[in-house]
This record gives sequence, structure tokens and C-alpha cells, in this order.
Amino acid sequence: MAQFPNYLRSNRKRLALSQEEVAFLLGTQSGAKICRYERFAREPSLQTALAFEAIFQRPTSELFGGLYQKVQQEVAARAKTLTNKVDREKPNRWTAHRRQILADIASKSLN
Amino acid sequence: MNRIQPKHLCILAIALSSKGFGFVVLEGKETLVDWGVRTVKRDKKAQSLAKVKELITQYQPGTLVLEDASAKGSRRSPRIRTLTRQIVRIGATLKVRVKLFSRDQVMKTFFTNGKGTKHLLAEIMAKRFPEQLGLQIPPKRKPWKSEDSRMDIFDAVALAMVLRLKDAKQHQR
Repeated sequence: MAQFPNYLRSNRKRLALSQEEVAFLLGTQSGAKICRYERFAREPSLQTALAFEAIFQRPTSELFGGLYQKVQQEVAARAKTLTNKVDREKPNRWTAHRRQILADIASKSLN
Repeated sequence: MNRIQPKHLCILAIALSSKGFGFVVLEGKETLVDWGVRTVKRDKKAQSLAKVKELITQYQPGTLVLEDASAKGSRRSPRIRTLTRQIVRIGATLKVRVKLFSRDQVMKTFFTNGKGTKHLLAEIMAKRFPEQLGLQIPPKRKPWKSEDSRMDIFDAVALAMVLRLKDAKQHQR
């Protein structure tokens, strides 16, 4: 289970890149921004997160392990709420299928 | 923004030396999160303590691992012994579990007869973490040269691995 919001520093060091070099690859001015991401003081935009994936060749969910787990748990909790709502609705031909999909999403929080 | 989840799964290992200290942050079974060397000049005690505090605050480790400088047969300097005691105190203040392992314990963990060199130990660690530490290993030290500061990283990894292996053994029982 990931404990840290992101693993950018370990991946950068793995590739022996400096913060300035990563900043250059991201198209930003200086390495200060990278330092803030690595110290968990700032969250990158979606575009920057995808750029990190392109640089480090690792999926975003792995690079931002802790953040991904947090979001996944929140989504799973909402999926449970939505399942209860679906159960209260009048059943139609899609009900069983939707219930199965929501159960799959909700079960992710247990993994 | 993002806070570190208080799972306390990670280990912060610190290997003190005359130039500063090497550190590693190990998460889970064998995931190196961060590693490096912090050098100190002038007022080494205060600077080292400040840098250790900074690392503890950033990573919020569950366990802090250090070399037992006052173990029987240890030849560490009085400054390192005092600094170790002070870091242990900081750990207690910040409510971090502190573990001390002597040099003998480390060597006995990785070498069958407990006898090996610092460079051999570094090579074992580099093999264990080839992606992260493979490029970090310095060339074998010549007798007339001083030690490369990067060796502190390997000492810190060895300390962290001793704890991991001990924990794994206890789980098996």
C-alpha cells in the first residue's frame, strides 16, 4: 500500500536526472516547482502528471500512488452510496448490470 | 495539500559519518522512496540534527534506524556517539520508534562468517536495488584516498535492510 502522495523523487533519482532537467522536460522555468511536487507541497495539473508519466515511463496511478489510493477510496465510498440509490429505484433491464459495475468499483477500496 | 497517510510503514535509516550522513527511506518490503547524502560543514551537530528533523518531518517514518555507536567494539568517534544519542532523543520526542544496530549485527546479517568489507556490503546493496543504487556505487577506495561520501547511502540501506530482514523473520515464526 502506497504511503506517500507521490513517488516523483525516487523515479527522478532512478533515472539520474536533476530537478532542473525534469523542469526542462516539463517545459517549466526552474526546478523549484519540481521540488514542491517532490515535497508534497503542491499537486501538479493533469497535463504535468501526464508529462511525468511520459518522462518516467510509469503509469500515473503508480507515480501518484498515495493520491490515487485516496481518490479510489473516495470513489468507492460514493459507489456504495449510488448502489443503495439504485436498489431503491424501480428495477429495469439495466439494474443488474449497473449494480455489478458499482459493486466492482466499491470493491476496489478493499484491495 | 497532500498529507502522508499515517500508516507508519516506512523506515528512515541514517548512517552518520565525519562529513554528514547518508540516508534512505524504505517503504513496504523493499521500495526505496528516497536516498542521498547530507553534508555538513561548521557546527556539524546543529546542522546534522536540523537535517535529520527535516527528513523525519517530511517522511514521517514509523521507524528510525541508526548504527549503535556505543556498542561493544565500536570505534566511532565521540562526536558521532553524542550525535547518535541526540538523534535517538529527537526520535523519542517526535514519537518515532528508534532501532539501533551495531556494525557486527549488520555484517552478520549479510556475511555468513560476519566478516566482509564496506565495499562488498555496498555491492550487495547495489545488487538488491540495481535500478536505484547501481549507478551510485563508487569505485573501490584506494588506501591513500578518503572515503567517498556516497558510501554512507549504502551503510544506511544496510541498516534498513537489517530491520526489514529481522521483521520478516519474526513474521515467519
